[in-house]
Amino acid sequence: MVGISLGEQHFIKGGIAQDLRTDGRKRLTYRPIYVETGVIAHANGSARVKIGGTDVIASVKAEIGRPSSLQPDKGKVAVFIDCSPTAEPTFGGRGGEELSSELALALQRCLLGGKSGAGAGINLSSLLIKEGKVCWDLYIDGLVISSDGNLLDALGAAIKAALTNTAIPKVNVSAEMADDEQPEIDISDEEYLQFDTSSVPVIVTLTKVGTHYIVDATAEEESQMSSAVSISVNRVGHICGLTKRGGSGLDPSVILDMISVAKHVTETLMNKLDSDISAAEAREEES
Amino acid sequence: MAAKPGAATPTYSPKLVGRSRLPIFKDSDLDWTRPDGRGFHQCRPALLQTGAVSSASGSAYAEFGNTKVIVSVFGPRESKKAMTYSDVGRLNCNVSYTTFASSTLGQGTDHKEYSSMLHQALEGVIIMETFPKTTVDVFALVLESGGSDLSVLISCASLALADAGIMMYDLITAVSVSCIGKSLMIDPVTEEEGCEDGSFMMTCMPSRYEITQLTITGEWTTPNINEAMQLCLDACSKLGEIMRDCLKQSTSASDE
Amino acid sequence: MGLPDSSQDLTSEMEVDAFRRIFPLRFFERHLSESLRPDARPLDKARDTIVNLGLVSTADGSALAKIGSTTMLAAIRMEVMTPSTESPDEGCIAVEFHMPPICSPIVRPGRPAEAAPVISKRLSDTILSSGMIDLKELCLVSGKAAWMGYLDIYCLDADGALFDAALLSAVAAFSNLQIPVVALNDNGRIVAISDEKEQDNASIIEEEAVNKEKRKLTLKNIPFSLTCILHKNYILADPTTEEESIMDTLVTVVLDSSDQMVSFYKSGGEALAYSSSIKSCVELARKRAKELKEILGEMDVD
Repeated sequence: MVGISLGEQHFIKGGIAQDLRTDGRKRLTYRPIYVETGVIAHANGSARVKIGGTDVIASVKAEIGRPSSLQPDKGKVAVFIDCSPTAEPTFGGRGGEELSSELALALQRCLLGGKSGAGAGINLSSLLIKEGKVCWDLYIDGLVISSDGNLLDALGAAIKAALTNTAIPKVNVSAEMADDEQPEIDISDEEYLQFDTSSVPVIVTLTKVGTHYIVDATAEEESQMSSAVSISVNRVGHICGLTKRGGSGLDPSVILDMISVAKHVTETLMNKLDSDISAAEAREEES
Repeated sequence: MAAKPGAATPTYSPKLVGRSRLPIFKDSDLDWTRPDGRGFHQCRPALLQTGAVSSASGSAYAEFGNTKVIVSVFGPRESKKAMTYSDVGRLNCNVSYTTFASSTLGQGTDHKEYSSMLHQALEGVIIMETFPKTTVDVFALVLESGGSDLSVLISCASLALADAGIMMYDLITAVSVSCIGKSLMIDPVTEEEGCEDGSFMMTCMPSRYEITQLTITGEWTTPNINEAMQLCLDACSKLGEIMRDCLKQSTSASDE
Repeated sequence: MGLPDSSQDLTSEMEVDAFRRIFPLRFFERHLSESLRPDARPLDKARDTIVNLGLVSTADGSALAKIGSTTMLAAIRMEVMTPSTESPDEGCIAVEFHMPPICSPIVRPGRPAEAAPVISKRLSDTILSSGMIDLKELCLVSGKAAWMGYLDIYCLDADGALFDAALLSAVAAFSNLQIPVVALNDNGRIVAISDEKEQDNASIIEEEAVNKEKRKLTLKNIPFSLTCILHKNYILADPTTEEESIMDTLVTVVLDSSDQMVSFYKSGGEALAYSSSIKSCVELARKRAKELKEILGEMDVD
């Protein structure tokens, strides 16, 4: 991040206070979003999402695994994020690692729901093939190619698109087997199952600059933030996860207000993303 | 240290303010009594003690039911050689578990996730300008994990920081709430955390009435969030008083 | 070297503290010449010792030992293993000593203390060689199943004489150990039985139960240890961290309950030990063992 002069700082803050940001947007307007699916051929599903100067890729890889003994009726999902040093020099070394694990943690919190599975974007039970024996392990990898703020929202959108794009082979399990043995499985290479992604939430990050908060902050704007709250909301308007960043405290009423603003913003964002994703899917099929 | 005879165990139980509602345990679709027989909005008794570790600059021991943690604070002391000059202080947090902390975990490990969350919760309260060029280390060990570990860790860490004389804007208190079915349960134990539909963890500065850290997982409706927040705020301010009393006691004891 | 002029070093509190930091050795020698230590103990006296049992509910046996401010928490978890072919009717004890970052300013996360593995090994040697535990008692089904006891000792506060405190907490944890009730199921695996279940279908369990009721181990030859510092002509029992850092010749004597010597460590250091001073160390250890036996004995009564 290049240092910003005092004058520029005032300009950014002043613009936000007057509901006219430096790039001409209003406080609650997103930058143009561009979605492309099927960008990685050998993954089960993948997508690239660009929001302004932020560019991320998400891929979904499914592997056959064993359910954990604690939850024998569920598959497993792991989220990894990699912040490439090409996106930002500070991502090299420790700085990137910390940011990566923070983002991965926030995404897990937003996508995987509670311990009982309520509010989960991905239905873990649908990943089960044979109870206690075989299940799908989903590896969701996010890669930050270029960073201009609002990484979490972009990654959330990319994962949603990648999951929509994901096709998992149908698996047949041989019915007869002893209790202790691992069942034989037959992975079909013709029949594929699609994911139901309607319950995958979208993530909206509200960045607080001065007394106002904005959506989709650029890196410049993020450098002026006092704190940011990322809220993931699903289609029915329930909150699926919330993470706060930035050290400074917030008044409880402000947080509640942010939640209601986020819910309002998501409605339009969700519809826009859905239509973008289906358009991208259609494009991919044509080509 | 762990169980000194005669140490008073103050209890606190938050009440829902401003609204009258039916008691939640009459909720017909959920037949659930809490494993330890508490009310849904009743916290576990909190046992807090400062000065648990003599070689640390400050330390505290906290026992909430079966959750037992020790936090030591070292410093401010010289930052690592590799660190560049900084005109504000640095904070370094580490959380680890004993091998016998829980019956399922099995091995003692560093807990990276909790370490970074403890860091995030504390960095906003400590007045870093008061110790430039140096580092304050906050190390925590979970002796026994009995649920709501992170919130106990955060409260205990703020007590240890106060004991070490590190300048803070306010004490930091943390409380978790679990949502199971339609019910909200404050300060959940491990069994409850295992089957919760959603969890809500809030840290706040009770005197300044500010939320410094908030994490929500699972599915929540807005009224539920409002209620959980009110419960937490209430419990936090009560816990804050208990912590303040604990600090007052320890200073008056050392004066004698 | 010569002792400093008393009119200079005792003018105020502050100067004593400064003197202690700048000339630690002279500060201590000054005390030693008066047969007194900075914490007002006579040279041969150990610090106050407290033992508490059964503090960890997730473990099968646990104890907290405090010598002065040195604090150790020991916990034992019992698991089932298949015994080795050489000793088909013996169980096993695995001892590990941990120094987490909370215990001392010198331990940092990711950089474990050098002392920890050394003490770990010494504890394991002492406990196994003392014959305190009959490993045959840990057998469940000969050749098939035996108990593996994981003993983990955590140092919560390090202020000298770590080995003594660790051994004391380990011994106390063993005296607190309750071996859980288990049975052999059809597949040849050992399963735990809860108390209620046992009452429900007592007749079935009666046949299968390998370990019918919660039992304690018989402990014989309990080892007790005392660490002393040798410095010039002085012998200091039960040193603090400060004393250990200034005078580095340490002698640890481990005696069992019938005053037999289990082990003796002298880990280098400047001072050479004459046989007379070793004899005095052993004599001090004998007294200390008696004290510790009483402390543990009080626990058993409860």
